[in-house]
Amino acid sequence: MSAASTACQAVQLGDWRQLLAVIWDFLSLSLFSLGGGNTLLNEYHHMAVDQYCWLTSRQFADIYAIAEAAPGPSSMIVGLLGMGAAVKEGPLWGVLSGLTAEIAILLPSTLLMVAAALSWNRMRHSPWRIAFERGLGPITLGILFAVGLKILRISDHDTPAYAVSLVVCVLMLRTKISPLWFMAVAGLMGALGLVNR
Amino acid sequence: MAEVATTPPTHRQLFVGMQQVALSSFGGGLSAWSERIVVEERQWMSKEEFITGLTVARLFPGPNQINMAVYIGSHFRGLTGAIAALLGILLLPFSLLMLLGLGYYYLHETLAVDRVLSGVITASAGMALSMGFKIAGAYSRDPVALLLAGTSFLAMSVFHVRLVPLVLVAGPLAMAWYWPRQPKP
Repeated sequence: MSAASTACQAVQLGDWRQLLAVIWDFLSLSLFSLGGGNTLLNEYHHMAVDQYCWLTSRQFADIYAIAEAAPGPSSMIVGLLGMGAAVKEGPLWGVLSGLTAEIAILLPSTLLMVAAALSWNRMRHSPWRIAFERGLGPITLGILFAVGLKILRISDHDTPAYAVSLVVCVLMLRTKISPLWFMAVAGLMGALGLVNR
Repeated sequence: MAEVATTPPTHRQLFVGMQQVALSSFGGGLSAWSERIVVEERQWMSKEEFITGLTVARLFPGPNQINMAVYIGSHFRGLTGAIAALLGILLLPFSLLMLLGLGYYYLHETLAVDRVLSGVITASAGMALSMGFKIAGAYSRDPVALLLAGTSFLAMSVFHVRLVPLVLVAGPLAMAWYWPRQPKP
């Protein structure tokens, strides 16, 4: 434990004002989830580790891996973050908190998506739509690199670990092998002590 | 039956259909399964309609596959249809994730779990790193796009600018630059 994380004061979800502040954070991030939601990972890390002290950086790397390995959309990591915030109070609170976080992160983008689906025909040739798509694309690209680097930094701490990550990155780009294989092989390497934290 | 079904799916059918998508895609390939079930098996939409939906789902904020379910639901039954489709695609994966999460939070201090995860996170870090490279090719011939991407990267990684202010400042500037101009005569 570093000095910074000892000083970190965990937010009290029992206090409704703090609870509402956390829910508000998720609600407002929702509309900024460009590029399919992965752009939010740095913000999740900031919230959960630095701001609200629900998790250590190491736990964040773990739940990112679990959310990637689990079936379904990987953006469900928010459910695991929410769970981490309250699981100390018991499993039921953990699940409720996870569910609340997931609903909060999905609600605004879902409502916007419904509006978009119903009015797309009017919107598709609008200059706003074209400028948004072309303009936000490069920003999303920069953010995705920042997110990748952040996850790499919190996950890998020795040379073999970095080497495995780089190999996986190249294979992800060059082959169509299912990512589950990479996770299985890397997990085995971890179990055998070939890569460590 | 080669034509697209004439009667739109009911709420219940939307829920069940999306649940089928979620179940089939255990192991990956959510997008491909979604198309197979919605277009080929259940014939709710034509391929063109499906691709339009995917374009909208990718353009708007939110996870792509979840947005796609919302698009399909609201296309046929408005807001309540969207909710039925959303519940369908999320119910089982989310329940399973909650179980995995409980397992993790109660067992992560166990040595064996910790060691396996130490390995798994190296793979997921590699996957995270590949996300940027995957879309980078589309921008490699546009110097302004590369400048925007590079600036956003530096702002976030080096200067620790948070996402919301970054998008609020860089977004409008980028949109102004890329605003469609009338072709010059």
